[in-house]
Amino acid sequence: MDMNEIKEIFFQECEEQLAELESGLLKLNDGDRDPETVNAVFRAVHSIKGGAGAFGLDDLVSFAHVFETTLDCVRSNKLEPTQDVLKVMLKSADVLADLTNAARDGGSVDEARSRTLIRELEALAHGETHAAEPAAPKPVAAASKPAEPAPVVAKPDVNDEGFQPIPFSFGDFDDEPAAQYVPTCQIVFRPNRELYAKGNEAVLLLRDLSRLGEMSVYCDMDRLPPLDKMNPEEAYFSWKVSVTTDKGEDGVRSVFEFAEWDCELDVRTIEEEIVGDAADDDEPPMQAVPFDLSLLEDGPAAGGEEEPVASESDAAAAIAAADTASKVAQVASRAAENAKAAAAAATAAQANQASAAGQTIRVDLDRVDRLINLVGELVINQAMLSQSVVENDNNGVSSINMGLEELQQLTREIQDSVMAIRAQPVKPVFQRMARTVREIADITGKSVRLITEGENTEVDKTVIDKLAEPLTHMIRNAVDHGLEMPEKREALGKNPEGTVRLTAKHRSGRIVIELADDGAGINREKVRQKAIDNDLIAADANLSDEEIDNLIFHAGFSTADKVSDLSGRGVGMDVVKRSIQALGGRISISSKPGQGSVFTMSLPLTLAVLDGMVVTVAGQTLVVPLTAIVETLQPEASAIHSFGASQRLISIRNSFCPLVDVGRILNFRSTQANPMDGVALLVESEGGGQRALMVDAIQGQRQVVIKSLEANYTHVPGIAAATILGDGRVALILDVDAVVAASRGQPLRQDISLAATG
Amino acid sequence: MASKKAAQKSLSLAPVLDLNEATALHAQLMGLKGGPLVIDASAVERVGALCAQVLMAGAKSWEEDKQPFTFAKVSEPFMKTMQLIGVNIDHLLAQEARQ
Repeated sequence: MDMNEIKEIFFQECEEQLAELESGLLKLNDGDRDPETVNAVFRAVHSIKGGAGAFGLDDLVSFAHVFETTLDCVRSNKLEPTQDVLKVMLKSADVLADLTNAARDGGSVDEARSRTLIRELEALAHGETHAAEPAAPKPVAAASKPAEPAPVVAKPDVNDEGFQPIPFSFGDFDDEPAAQYVPTCQIVFRPNRELYAKGNEAVLLLRDLSRLGEMSVYCDMDRLPPLDKMNPEEAYFSWKVSVTTDKGEDGVRSVFEFAEWDCELDVRTIEEEIVGDAADDDEPPMQAVPFDLSLLEDGPAAGGEEEPVASESDAAAAIAAADTASKVAQVASRAAENAKAAAAAATAAQANQASAAGQTIRVDLDRVDRLINLVGELVINQAMLSQSVVENDNNGVSSINMGLEELQQLTREIQDSVMAIRAQPVKPVFQRMARTVREIADITGKSVRLITEGENTEVDKTVIDKLAEPLTHMIRNAVDHGLEMPEKREALGKNPEGTVRLTAKHRSGRIVIELADDGAGINREKVRQKAIDNDLIAADANLSDEEIDNLIFHAGFSTADKVSDLSGRGVGMDVVKRSIQALGGRISISSKPGQGSVFTMSLPLTLAVLDGMVVTVAGQTLVVPLTAIVETLQPEASAIHSFGASQRLISIRNSFCPLVDVGRILNFRSTQANPMDGVALLVESEGGGQRALMVDAIQGQRQVVIKSLEANYTHVPGIAAATILGDGRVALILDVDAVVAASRGQPLRQDISLAATG
Repeated sequence: MASKKAAQKSLSLAPVLDLNEATALHAQLMGLKGGPLVIDASAVERVGALCAQVLMAGAKSWEEDKQPFTFAKVSEPFMKTMQLIGVNIDHLLAQEARQ
């Protein structure tokens, strides 16, 4: 494991932390005041800072430090997280992300921007708080400054617990207390149950504390119940400790670095003058701690922690290393102390993601893909095997059949689990969009609120990776072209703050992503005129509203009067459409003047396994995704009604539903089939409407492995993908929505059509 | 409570009294309740706060039952840790005749 690999891991974790940071800030923005949220945000910045310090990324460290200081003010309730404050913080999160990227990939960042933000952050931290904040942990920045005695500012009114520390001074009791310049910290430490559960140990924390300087400790056992009423894993003890140390509060806090989320911790500095005033304390005297602690050391582990807090920067580096690299490198002293690997893992996990449970590993994507392919082959092979057994064995040897059934279940489970590895929630992409919206709103001077739904909808990683670019284009368009200026919105009686809604959901075996704005909608007159000007359509062409809307997907089309930095070059929507199509997806638009536009993207869950109904159409074997099928029925002559020249309807329970002849639409046959000879599959299409697909016969229901047609052959309209059946034949998987759209009279072609449904 | 037994029970503590040991130690102590108890802590190499809690809760319960609860032998790490975490067990040590 060389340094570069560790660094790579650091950056990967940075990405996670940045996502955490952003979602936390957004939660705060929505009015969430849960301290855990604030903590999560703080933790994210802190971890990034720590790691960056270890790798000497000074820009990142200094920015993260200022950010952290301001966040600490929020955490300690000195600064109210108002909208204005959060705006600055969200921008800071963006800059932090830029700095992280710059540190990884090289390149430069907008220095003026980060300087401005640093000033704003500092103003927030200082303006709203008192001149000094002794509580702010600032290990890294402090390293560059001369080590000043941190707790110069003392709070004389510490004594709300009736407890005064007794200064410990072994040897020279005749010292004038005032003459010592070494501050004394009073610590109230009350571990929670989680502290122990995560493998931390109060004893070790106290031992580390004792190394800072002279320490006296009082253990509060008041909460300890009798033996028969106690839970042995509950935390009952709490401690009041006073430490005289030149490390000050920062040093003390750094001891609790890994535990501070799982305990109540109060660290205060006491001025020497007031010590001793409360000599008539009725608290029991504190026990002195012997200096010889060597027996407590775990022999082999001691190497990594020779000097507990040798200097601020050492501490920071150690913290950083533990934060970022503890999983891979046994650098962290604390992790090494815990004898059990499980305990170490728990500590690392706690440090990295105290809120999110569950452990993860990082795996090279290629390995997963290889596994997925192999499992796919396994499934096909299993299907072949079971088919040949059934065919060759008419006696029905039940034991073989039972074994095969079990094998089928097992392969099914393996496949599901393997697919789940590849699937990831769309959340990271959606979070990136939040930033896009903020930036564009800033530039355009519009006020925009992004609402995301279905962030946890899972889709294959390839799709996620390729989704970001078209989505960014579309969001830019929605904010720049779609939404009106606040004044205009107000005049129209709308909320001056525009809303952009980003939704993801699973529908008929695909993922559907919807982007809706509540802006002006598409100006059809303008679009039409523009299309005529650009010779895209004939001046007298008679186009439906839908066709006009779809004109915006044409190359070289832009309705913006002037080209702006953001959008309006006319490359936007056709690029979007092409990249969506490259993913095997479709995009459609529906717009209502004055009420906004909705872009709907429907993407396949590539690489997925499909539960399909295997059907025969004109001698061909097709697979219809089961998710699309609502029910199947045998049409009766009385239920079929002719409609117009060639359309037919089927009446189902007193409602009419268009009958779609699949064989005719796919050009498998030239004449219409007799509905009475076939089976009707009632399907739900993307638009929400129901259609009855007519096929010749149903062969059965089967799980099929999707083999991409695009990758192996070329895109075939009306066909989503292909699969290999148990007998080795290739069957095509029907693209239900495309077929339904084709039945509405739109051509089943995608190259030059104006229609959005390719 | 169970009937008082004249026979003095003894309990030898495991070398490592960490998180995992707390529940077991608690169960052991619960099983020994009701009679005098002598604890041998001479093998202890490491003791965590949770086990210290259990031991102290035991001492408390034994005191309520008016039964002796003593540490016959203690190892140095055990004593040091107890001192470190501010738990005073001097009065429970065997030298102090508290029978």
